[in-house]
Amino acid sequence: MSWIDRVTNLLRPERLSRDLDVEIDTHLGERTDDLVAAGMSPLAARAEARRRFGNRGRKKESAHDVDTLAWLESVAADLRYAVRTLRNSPGFTAVAVLSLALGVGANTAIFSLVDAITLRSLPVSHPEQLLQLDQGKPNNNVFTNPLWEAVRDRSAGFTSAFAYGDEQFNLANGGAVDFAQGLMVSGGFFDALGVRPIAGRLTHASDDVRGCTPMAMVSAGFAERRLGGTAGAVGRTVALDGHPVEVIGVVDPRFSGLDVGRRVDIYAPLCAYGALSSDPGMLDGRSTWYLNIMLRPNAGMALPAVNAQLAQLAPIVYRTTVPGDWAATGRHSYLQGKLSATPSPAGVSDLRDNYRAALTVLMIVVGALLLIACANIANLLLARATARQREMAIRLAIGAARRRLVRQLLTESLLLAGTGAVIGVIFARWASRLLMGFLSTQDQPVAVDLSINARVLGFTIAIATVTGVLFGLLPAWRAARTDPQSAMKAGGAVRGAMRRGLGRVLVTGQVALSLALVVSAGLLLGSFERLVTLDPGFQRDGILLTVLDFTPTGLKDHALVTVSAQLLQQVRQLPGVSSASLSWTTPIARGGWNDFVRIPGYRPVDMRDSLANFNQVSDGYFHTLGTPLLAGRDISGDDVAGNRSVVVINRTMAMKMFGSASPLGRTFTTPAGDSASPPRDVIGVVGDAKYSRLTQPAPPTGYFPVGIGGLGNSTLTLEVRSTRPFAGMIRDITRLAASTSPAITLRFTTLAQQVSDSLTRPRLLAALGGFFGLLALLLAMIGLYGTMAYHVTRRRSEIGLRMALGAGRLRVMRTVVGEANRIVLIGVVLGIALALMGTRVLASLLYGVTATDTGTVLGSAVLLLITGAIAAAIPAWRATRVDPVQALREG
Amino acid sequence: MTAPRNDILQGTLALLILQTLSARGPLHGYALTQQIQRGSAELLRVEEGSVYPALHRMAQAGWIKGKWGMTERNRPARVYVLTALGAAQLEVERENWARLTRGVNRVLRLA
Repeated sequence: MSWIDRVTNLLRPERLSRDLDVEIDTHLGERTDDLVAAGMSPLAARAEARRRFGNRGRKKESAHDVDTLAWLESVAADLRYAVRTLRNSPGFTAVAVLSLALGVGANTAIFSLVDAITLRSLPVSHPEQLLQLDQGKPNNNVFTNPLWEAVRDRSAGFTSAFAYGDEQFNLANGGAVDFAQGLMVSGGFFDALGVRPIAGRLTHASDDVRGCTPMAMVSAGFAERRLGGTAGAVGRTVALDGHPVEVIGVVDPRFSGLDVGRRVDIYAPLCAYGALSSDPGMLDGRSTWYLNIMLRPNAGMALPAVNAQLAQLAPIVYRTTVPGDWAATGRHSYLQGKLSATPSPAGVSDLRDNYRAALTVLMIVVGALLLIACANIANLLLARATARQREMAIRLAIGAARRRLVRQLLTESLLLAGTGAVIGVIFARWASRLLMGFLSTQDQPVAVDLSINARVLGFTIAIATVTGVLFGLLPAWRAARTDPQSAMKAGGAVRGAMRRGLGRVLVTGQVALSLALVVSAGLLLGSFERLVTLDPGFQRDGILLTVLDFTPTGLKDHALVTVSAQLLQQVRQLPGVSSASLSWTTPIARGGWNDFVRIPGYRPVDMRDSLANFNQVSDGYFHTLGTPLLAGRDISGDDVAGNRSVVVINRTMAMKMFGSASPLGRTFTTPAGDSASPPRDVIGVVGDAKYSRLTQPAPPTGYFPVGIGGLGNSTLTLEVRSTRPFAGMIRDITRLAASTSPAITLRFTTLAQQVSDSLTRPRLLAALGGFFGLLALLLAMIGLYGTMAYHVTRRRSEIGLRMALGAGRLRVMRTVVGEANRIVLIGVVLGIALALMGTRVLASLLYGVTATDTGTVLGSAVLLLITGAIAAAIPAWRATRVDPVQALREG
Repeated sequence: MTAPRNDILQGTLALLILQTLSARGPLHGYALTQQIQRGSAELLRVEEGSVYPALHRMAQAGWIKGKWGMTERNRPARVYVLTALGAAQLEVERENWARLTRGVNRVLRLA
């Protein structure tokens, strides 16, 4: 046989089979003729010829299995047969493919996020060698620049060491801000990672000289968006916080920093921080912690050896960088500092730390959902298998190998799974992008590479195959065990009891899994609802926030306080403004300020117990935010103007640190180096308001007049409660700010938006959990309906007999509903056990409810029972319509 | 189902087919079966159907070639011819058979 024949055979497997048929017919004919010639009757001769030939069908099939090519032929034949069979029942196929597409799609979408955020190594050379430097604990990995320089100067034992820190550059010169996401990098950063420029050049370790010229290396995306493309970007000038800086190179687009999920637009050399920032602390501050440090050990150097070397370095490194302004106890513990390293092939990622648990939960949820969908399809296939039992019996009787029948049925289910998977992947690409949008907030754009890679594709293929085999194996196994004789004899009604039993087991499992998902959904929705409706101690709606950055104006300290107070007065005159105020920070803004307080008479259990959070506010702040004044007086304009050392404290601070006696008129101090700050007089007590997180109770908080305690940076936030639309208000505020100084930069947001951005994760979980829970409920309902409908059809004659014997319609209905209830009840009991075990994973993601919340569990159980009753209602009603006479005649 | 009697080893069937085609020239399946049975004085009874899968396997291995023709009673049939590759294979199979029978005989004599 030439190769052309083989290929034609591959394309047209019937040809081989037809040729064989002709040969066999010829053989049988010749043999019969010879036997007749020898004197046998034609009928006997034909029978004898067949006997001598052996099993005709079996010969044909073993001829098919001649080699791989022939195997492929038979697979192609199986596939074609499967396509034909599935096309014959479009309803079944559509339901099966759709539920699979949803299941596989949801799994792929979540997995591509898991892969992009938690699994994938950084796109740099040898990511497996990268070590993250920490202070003895993996999560304690931020350093000051003096510490980095001390490590760098002693890193001869490593192939390379580099540092980087997040920064946000304002590109606008005054007016509304235009932020670019920046990364300050040490000179050796790019070389150590093996990252190359696609235009211009990048910095090297040799460039790492204090006071170096500021330069900008931009991402390809930024060059495209803002600098008219990669080609023309080099040599252009960008303004970083008002400083003109030359672009010297464009970074390879495959690389986007070491923080997965954070987009980087501009890389600037760390050594130029002095020229880019007015804050000298960035380079010299011994308590300004913002740098991550990474090491690449010498070839063959194992982690214990690296850690041994670091342990040796630590005492010198910490001794040369002791913060001089710290209290003696702080300096002492600083000197005990440690250094160690952790493998970090995937970099450091806030997004990952924040979402790891949530993604795990979502992965489990979609996995369970896929199982539920599988159970439905297995149930449908079982019902079909029963209907096709005669077909199987006939094929077995005429000599088909059982192996082939199993393969045929598995081909069908794999075809279903494959089609579902293809649609699922398309669905997943859309869904994962949607999810990514969910994760982004106004000032933290999330960028993650979501292109489908080999791992994601492998995952999808694996789950499609596993599901295909999972729901196809049972019916296939059943078909292979078909006994042709009894199957043919019994006609259509065979093995009903068996299928009913299996079907019930599947539906019970579905109900149990669905209940667990519904409970999870209830818990996630419940926590989100609590977060949205809780009283944070301030009014979240109707407040416009303007973050005013005075840095470019050069205004500092009291001059800044005076200028901003004048601006506040002008804003208050604007039409529609019902109240306005200034503050150092606002609730639920990222970051904050805390310090240890010393109060005569207060004995803290430990250092942490004497921590309080602080803010600086102008007069009218509490009124604008709607935080009630409980005792004493509010901060006044005179307190601000006069730079008075007074403070308003919240209820928690009053109760915790001042005890039952009134705190009014008493004082506290905070540390200032080895001495203490001036005493702060408590003049008032306000209600508790959440500080930086909605999920945590309000910490002890003190509010100073603006300027008291020093302004760390020259940024203040203006809060405006207004009856006018914000758009007009934004225009007016921009105008007023520009008239004060054109260099002031402004960023607008609303308090509601700021609070809402902090709820990204609970919102995502509630939305997805709710959606998946609903889907699970729907799938279980379909499964139960199918089983009950089948149950009623099978028992038609029995029901007819009962009715003939006098059973009322109500009684018949009760039998069917009772049957369904039994299934649901067992499922619910199993599901409650499952939920109680499984929802523990959720514990860290919940707010205000426990993972085993009784109300949620009971509510979900009732919901499933109702769903079960609805699913059983139609088949039960159909059962009552059975005409006894006709049913008995058929039976 | 019961195992067919007079079943012969798969490899032996190939040897018989190659030898018969080599001795008798081109033959169709039925004639081949007849020749093998007659040649062995009815001592070897091939389950006739098993010749065809063997022929297919051998055709794919390139030992024989099939061409459509007619039987004496005018039925369509594939007529098989030994190829050069098949002639070489026949020598290999003969050698195998000789070795096998030598071995078996020795065991029978000594045991």
